[in-house]
Amino acid sequence: MLAQLFVAGVVHGLIIGLAALGVTLVFGIARFPNAAAGDTMTVGAYGGLAAYGATGSLLVAGGASVLAAGAASLLGYLLVFRRLAGRSLAALLVAAIGVAFLLRAALGVVFGHQQRVYQVPLAWPIEVMGLRISPMDITLAGVAAASLTVAFLVLYATPIGRQMRAVADDPDLARVSGIHPFRVMAALWLLAGAAAGIAGMMLGIKTVVAPEMGWESLLPAFAAAILGGIGSPVGAVVAGLVLGIAQEVSTPIVGFTYKIALAFFVMLLVLLVRPRGIFGRVEGVR
Amino acid sequence: MTAYLLAIGIMAAIYVLLTLGLTLQYGLTGLVNFGHVGFFAIGAYASALLSLQGVPLPLTFLAAALAAAIAAWPIGLVALRLREDYFAVVTLGFGETVRLAITSEGWLTNGVQGIPGIPRLFSAMPVGLPEALATFAVIALACTVAALMLRRIAASPFGRVIGAIRDNEDALKALGKDPARFKLQVMMLGSALAGIAGAFYGHYITYLSPDQFIPLVTFYAWMAMIMGGVGRVSGAVVGAALLMAFLEGTRFLRDFIPGVSEVEMASVRLGAVGLALVLFTLFRPQGLMGDYRK
Repeated sequence: MLAQLFVAGVVHGLIIGLAALGVTLVFGIARFPNAAAGDTMTVGAYGGLAAYGATGSLLVAGGASVLAAGAASLLGYLLVFRRLAGRSLAALLVAAIGVAFLLRAALGVVFGHQQRVYQVPLAWPIEVMGLRISPMDITLAGVAAASLTVAFLVLYATPIGRQMRAVADDPDLARVSGIHPFRVMAALWLLAGAAAGIAGMMLGIKTVVAPEMGWESLLPAFAAAILGGIGSPVGAVVAGLVLGIAQEVSTPIVGFTYKIALAFFVMLLVLLVRPRGIFGRVEGVR
Repeated sequence: MTAYLLAIGIMAAIYVLLTLGLTLQYGLTGLVNFGHVGFFAIGAYASALLSLQGVPLPLTFLAAALAAAIAAWPIGLVALRLREDYFAVVTLGFGETVRLAITSEGWLTNGVQGIPGIPRLFSAMPVGLPEALATFAVIALACTVAALMLRRIAASPFGRVIGAIRDNEDALKALGKDPARFKLQVMMLGSALAGIAGAFYGHYITYLSPDQFIPLVTFYAWMAMIMGGVGRVSGAVVGAALLMAFLEGTRFLRDFIPGVSEVEMASVRLGAVGLALVLFTLFRPQGLMGDYRK
């Protein structure tokens, strides 16, 4: 039973981890917690759903979710966050909430409020060492692993990724080194949006697609980003897994609704005890 | 028509109280509280549950204010040591957690079924115009008292300290003041106002359920505050009035545009709140009647 929940937690954790990857990149580089990250996930879920309904291919759906969420994320940067550079943190926070509401409202108007599902073919679960694992879970874990590989390759093996990490480290130093802030920021928002989009599609396949789904995942994503250490991509993924497994394993004890609240308590605990998270560096300020 | 205007007036006054709490916390002190709805909910449920147990109404309002302030105490202690972005995330999480707790703890709150039959403010009077007028008068009085109190606070030495927290916390620390203590007091006082607003809300609507306390309520108050003018007591009043005009306006809009369902209208309303938050932060951060210098 516990091992079964553990398996469910891994898939759920990968979803949180991908969402947290987007959050931690924006938090580390653009330096504010983006409350629109959750609704960017929803955009990805609906984008994937439309493509999956048209083609029935998970690959096309993944591509569509990346495109849709990446575009929404980039648009948010170009139209709103870019203009707020140099303004107070509170302005960014409020604007992010505004963007989140706008995205959710647009989806609600276009797709309606009824819950939708990905019509994935049903398949018998496979027995592995006494555990029942559905083939879909294995596929989703593969999708997540592939997306994470791409994201980490972009971050650690391309010039733009190196520049992103430089800006995260020290924006002023990056600027005097000749790194163009606009290109880095545009790439950052695209990458963060793409990660959120895949996370949204996976969540949509595992559960249902509805305009509120992403907002409800926002808190776990924030919690994982903080637990992993702000600005640490590896930390976000590891913390996402930890949180996902903890949520699933604790469900029999704390009940279905409180597993979201668990994210809140993890976040509080980390901020109090070890504000730099598992993989974060000492930053002096929290 | 009079009854309708009174109903709008009562809801507007409730939002004025809620927004005044936020004005104290963000406008005067600079605390980014994204979990205001949580304290609103705690006040609403505290007063409603106690009144259903037969506790007389003025006492339940006191309890609502106390319960919200006490709930703000640990949140304040924990979160006020954090930078403002973390504080925003933590309070957002708190607001959601309160709603989850209301949903789950059915033994106390009756869960998603909600609590019906909460006594009205003037339960001895028959439901009608005089009763609504009396309700409005009481809430308006509460708003006036709260607004005057906030004015006094803003002009007092305490007000100058919290203003300094907003404008330059490091300088304040260098002068030997401890911002954490002031922030905690502001957090508790503002939450008490939200709690009282919640109590009025519960006794006016007479029915409470968790889905009345979605995060959108917090941002209605933010929208009212930003529209009216951040950091101004009169701004909260103007902003709440504008907010009500907007919320009611979208209801009338439905009569003119045929074929728009209520859920679609809810989306439009959500989008309009989002748009207002974005546009005001981008182009008019001081609000309609805010102080341009800040």
